[in-house]
Amino acid sequence: MIEYNFLALIILPFFWFFSLGVIFFSRIKFTENFLSESSKYLSLILSMLALTLFLQVWHLSPSHLKFDYPSWIKVGHYEFKIRFIVDLLGGTYALLSTFLISTIFRYSRNYLHKEEGYFRFVFLLAVLLFGLMIVSFARTLDFLFMGWELVGTTSVLLISYFYSQVQPVRHALKAIISYRLCDMGILAASAWAHLHLHTTDFSALPEVLAEHGHHGEFGFLLIGIFVIWGSLAKAGQLPMSSWLPTAMEGPTPSSAIFYGALSVHLGPFLLIRFHDYLSHFPSLLWSIGIIGGVSSLYATLVGRTRSDAKTMLGYATISQVGLMYIEIALGFTNFAMFHMFTHASLRTYQFLRSASLISDFVDNPRVVPDVLIQRSLPLESLFSKNFRRKIYIHALHSFHLDFMTGRILLGICWPFRAYMKLEDKWMDWDNQLLKKIFGKG
Amino acid sequence: MSMPGSLLESVPLIVSFGAVIISSFYEMGRKWKIFTMFLLVAMTIFFGVLFLFPQLAQSVSSHRMLDIRFNMITIFVGLLFSGSLFIGLLPIQDEVSINTRFLCYVASGFGLIMASNLPTFFLFWFFQRMIPVPGFIQDARDNTSGGGGTYIMQHLLTAVCFLALMTIAYQANVLDLPFGEIPHSFFQWPVLLLAFIIIYQSHGIFPFHSWIHDINGRLPWYELSCIFLSRAGVLLFVQFLMPTLATDPDGFKLLLLGLSIFSSIYWSFRGLFEKNITSTVTYFYVAQSSLILTGLQADTTAARGSYLHLMVISVCGTAMFSIISYIQHHFSLKRPSQFYGLAQYYPTLASLFCLFGFCMIGVPFLASFVVEDLVITGLLEHQPYLGLGHIIATCLNGILFFMLFSKLFLGQTAYRQHVVNLDMKLSQMVPYVIGFVLMVGIGLLPFLFLEKITW
Repeated sequence: MIEYNFLALIILPFFWFFSLGVIFFSRIKFTENFLSESSKYLSLILSMLALTLFLQVWHLSPSHLKFDYPSWIKVGHYEFKIRFIVDLLGGTYALLSTFLISTIFRYSRNYLHKEEGYFRFVFLLAVLLFGLMIVSFARTLDFLFMGWELVGTTSVLLISYFYSQVQPVRHALKAIISYRLCDMGILAASAWAHLHLHTTDFSALPEVLAEHGHHGEFGFLLIGIFVIWGSLAKAGQLPMSSWLPTAMEGPTPSSAIFYGALSVHLGPFLLIRFHDYLSHFPSLLWSIGIIGGVSSLYATLVGRTRSDAKTMLGYATISQVGLMYIEIALGFTNFAMFHMFTHASLRTYQFLRSASLISDFVDNPRVVPDVLIQRSLPLESLFSKNFRRKIYIHALHSFHLDFMTGRILLGICWPFRAYMKLEDKWMDWDNQLLKKIFGKG
Repeated sequence: MSMPGSLLESVPLIVSFGAVIISSFYEMGRKWKIFTMFLLVAMTIFFGVLFLFPQLAQSVSSHRMLDIRFNMITIFVGLLFSGSLFIGLLPIQDEVSINTRFLCYVASGFGLIMASNLPTFFLFWFFQRMIPVPGFIQDARDNTSGGGGTYIMQHLLTAVCFLALMTIAYQANVLDLPFGEIPHSFFQWPVLLLAFIIIYQSHGIFPFHSWIHDINGRLPWYELSCIFLSRAGVLLFVQFLMPTLATDPDGFKLLLLGLSIFSSIYWSFRGLFEKNITSTVTYFYVAQSSLILTGLQADTTAARGSYLHLMVISVCGTAMFSIISYIQHHFSLKRPSQFYGLAQYYPTLASLFCLFGFCMIGVPFLASFVVEDLVITGLLEHQPYLGLGHIIATCLNGILFFMLFSKLFLGQTAYRQHVVNLDMKLSQMVPYVIGFVLMVGIGLLPFLFLEKITW
């Protein structure tokens, strides 16, 4: 029963986006009403399936179920196996994903009414859901990476939803650069795990590591480093923070679902999945804690200097995810999972409300006292005015993070640019020679 | 039942070179387009049948100076050569000008693919690479546009390397031997170095890559594609070097692997800083092509990945070139600022371009994800740190593609006119859709395709 339930959770979103793709290329026109109604009901069915699965898994907990299917790729001794794990972590994330996505579908029916790209929006959310289901239940790192990439791709395409404007496209590019740089980490971790441990199965990794008995070996440590690096971009943690607040260019429902709820929590999700492995290396846990702490502090300070609601919410999200990193580093994985669930739900609500914030101020005076909370903390008065002013100025410039990242990237590119100039000169010389030999004068 | 090898092998050459000769005497105008499309589809079916029934193409070993024959890799590349050109050219046949020069590229491409020993390979290679030279010389004479000097220089130097290699082969009495029958003892350092220069120059790999800048933008995309699709570098590598690669010095293998990965990174960077859209597409294409040789050198797992990669790049690259060419022709685009925001006018073509790009950069459930998985796994077992280099190259390729896509289709359009849908007709897009379905098929059910790959 559980197997059919979870298979339906994987297969239904796949057929959903696949059929939408076929419809797009065959140029069949659907009414917006049909599209929104079908999406609403389908996402509701998926939510019910996820809820049933969650309850079944809750009943089973702390044990879990493993499902193995035939190899997807088989060449010589190499096999890419389709392996799933149905446990409380995956079940919770699947429930959160389906529940929030069905909320978003309902909300966007009004919010994106008569919007030209509504079909695209629905299609991309269906792909997102499929990607999230794979991430939730994947038992191997390489299989998880497939879902991870789908989430990243849909995220970038939704940032550039209003593609006829310059800013969204620029910010989508910023996001893809951050994503790709960190995806290298997951790919490398997967490949390195194949090489050193001969498996990427999360459930088997700690035992394999114990069998090897080489906790101090650099190759094993490197797998952990790659995993942590891979988690940073999606979670918006330092040094990959700057893209997240600028990614709010897409429609509000997509900002809510990606940067308030589901995509941004994939970083902590990955670390919880890998926690049994990472806990063998105290230095890695320390790194996670430090990254989370510094990111949280950074986002809190920068967020307090921002004036628009969505950017402030973006920084608040980074800050909370940073706290989750600290919780994971301390070993409170269940608490981090609970934090993830509650934070994602609350943040989605806040993002969805942010669009009507101004009208709330004007039309609904009862909301105003809640919004105008006393923002200065007693802690701040401990610091001198001069120090606070300096911090404010730096926070206003996001602590020059973009500038520093740009300098580092330019530094990496410098040898290539220098060589390109040299090559251009060399080619000019060749062409001059050709003209001298064959030219008329 | 096998057919007489020599008769079967001659078919592509007789038909294509026959067309070259006739076209240089008779001006048949539009009829040539129909003929070329017919030729390409016939060759696709021909190589397709041989690919499915390889027993039909069993050749008898012969020691002739000019030797052409089939084996699995030549049949595979031949199928990709004709099939990809057909997919790219059919939807835009009204926009292309098919002339004797193009037919020369096609004919020399078939010759190169089927060449079975060094002299034959050199003959077709030299013929193909010299086709644009009269144009460069004419430009230099007229003092019109610069360019072509590096192309001529690098090809002449490579031809000298080829001649040196053939001289060594002649002295060792292996000149007329088919590639597969050359003894291991022949592959000493001078031979390896000369072969390395020839292969890497033909494939456009750093540091022998500068000639690509010269033809980029000066040749129409379908002529440029003929040069890339005939895969001279890959074929020479697989047939000449690969059989003995295991016994070659480790330093040599490291050099080959390292350079092909670095080349992909270099082309990606070059593309990121390039302003010209057509050049960026070419750099993206070449950056991807550089990675083919990486997998071939690693092990059998990665080599299978590389074969699939060959297929992905051929189909997707040609389709992408074709889509850009259609849009350029329709919009009369010349300046870089005129690109941007074209998705408003061509939503379906923009989606197809995006999907073909995804097929190349490793998006899951599409063909190149399988490729990357196999190549990286194979490579890591062989050279772990170079495997990491491959991962960096793949990620940079992804960034380059998004930049290219955004430059072409996203952002603010330079045109103030009313936005109308200028997409192709659905029937015109059928070849692209077939290509894309193939890529999705490989991505979803890779085992069906991997089973067919043998060499």
